Amino acid sequence: MLRALTLLAAGWILLAAVAGLGHSLSVTVMLPATSAVLITYLAYEREGALPVGLALAVALGYLEDLHQGTPRGALSLAYALTYLVLAWTSLRLAPSGLLARSLAAGLAILAVDLLTYLTLTLLADPLGIARGGLAEGLRVLHWHALATVLATPPIWSMLAGIDGALRRIGGQTSPGPTLDRPPLIPWKRP
Amino acid sequence: MAGARNLRDILLVALLLGVPVLLLRAATQDPGALGPFDRAVRRIGAPLEAGLSYAATAVGTFFERWVAQARMQDQNAQLAAENRLLRLRIRELMGVDEENRELRRSLQMRDKVSEDMLAAEVTGVEQSPFFRVLKLVLDRGDRYVRSGMAVLADTGVVGRVDRVVDDRSDVLLITDPRSKVAIEVARTRSAGILEGGGEDRCYVVLAAEQPIEVGDLIQTSGADDIFPRGHPVGQVIAVEPLVGDQQRLIVLPSVRFDRLDMVWVILASAPAPDAQAAPAKPPLARGLGPIR
Repeated sequence: MLRALTLLAAGWILLAAVAGLGHSLSVTVMLPATSAVLITYLAYEREGALPVGLALAVALGYLEDLHQGTPRGALSLAYALTYLVLAWTSLRLAPSGLLARSLAAGLAILAVDLLTYLTLTLLADPLGIARGGLAEGLRVLHWHALATVLATPPIWSMLAGIDGALRRIGGQTSPGPTLDRPPLIPWKRP
Repeated sequence: MAGARNLRDILLVALLLGVPVLLLRAATQDPGALGPFDRAVRRIGAPLEAGLSYAATAVGTFFERWVAQARMQDQNAQLAAENRLLRLRIRELMGVDEENRELRRSLQMRDKVSEDMLAAEVTGVEQSPFFRVLKLVLDRGDRYVRSGMAVLADTGVVGRVDRVVDDRSDVLLITDPRSKVAIEVARTRSAGILEGGGEDRCYVVLAAEQPIEVGDLIQTSGADDIFPRGHPVGQVIAVEPLVGDQQRLIVLPSVRFDRLDMVWVILASAPAPDAQAAPAKPPLARGLGPIR
């Protein structure tokens, strides 16, 4: 519970910090999605139960909704679904190294953006959104993804640092997979 | 046990997925409205976001200033180089300006003096231990000038050509003890002989009955046929009574000898060649010919 709350607080702080930096540097498009990095981290670090991670993804999506002014629930749903996909892939893939993690976060934010686009396109009429504007937003997705890829290494390190600190506080000496999820099975050549 | 846990997880996942769906449903019903929970979250997050935004702005400003400072340094170096060039140009222009002024003065000299003149540049100066100018060296030699010719500047009388050697000539200044110039007091027309007093003073001895005052201007009288009449010589700075109903005027020359760059040699004031002194007739000075 402490870990979940701490990571939620970290996600919120990162969200606000990026918004502040974007505002002060007058950057609007090429801003990293720190929440996408966080859910990628949650999914691939395989610590904690799946519902806890999903709850964090929903909460971070909700905060993103409030920050970005999207209809409440749109980003929340996109983050939740993306997290589930990432959690499922984490049973088969274990990205190691900064590049692989960064690419995973980049793919995650692309998935989030596409899911959001899909949701908003489907609900454009009841939400009163112009579809032309949504299509415009699709053209700058790659900048969003690139910024996220670039920001992933420091954010990942920070989250790993938080986890390490929490483990030290909790008395654990080494990280390990939780018992309520199956351990990774080494891939063997058939 | 594991099956129950899986079932619980599935239920939780479904429940959690229902949250955004419900939120979306609420948003479609009233897109603009914020619920009490939304407002509470915003209220909690506002100070955090404001603080972070302030910090981010401070960081951004720092980097912006840093970049601006680097840019200013480049600009400063560029402006300094430009400034150096402009200073050089100004110095050149000042030289041109001074030359222009000199030439203008020379033109005025031509209007003031009717005799034929030859411009000469001061190429050397001999100074006393007290940095007083004792002698000038001109760039005109025996092909142009002869000894005894009067030398004038735009501000007054300089002296006479003393010695002519090849391509240069020495000037005997009016302050030299050997110098004698026929003068008159401009106000009273009292005539006299101005003698050099060494350093930067000249003397004139006049009859005591002449009403001379400090500040009176002394000018050439033209009586010596060397210096043209009415050319300024100096100013009386002191009047000393002498025995025998005489008075001595101490005259400060109007010319600053240490600031001379260019002078004029009066060609018409050349004394007649001494036939006995020189067995062979010297070649006619070119300066005596018509000026073209």
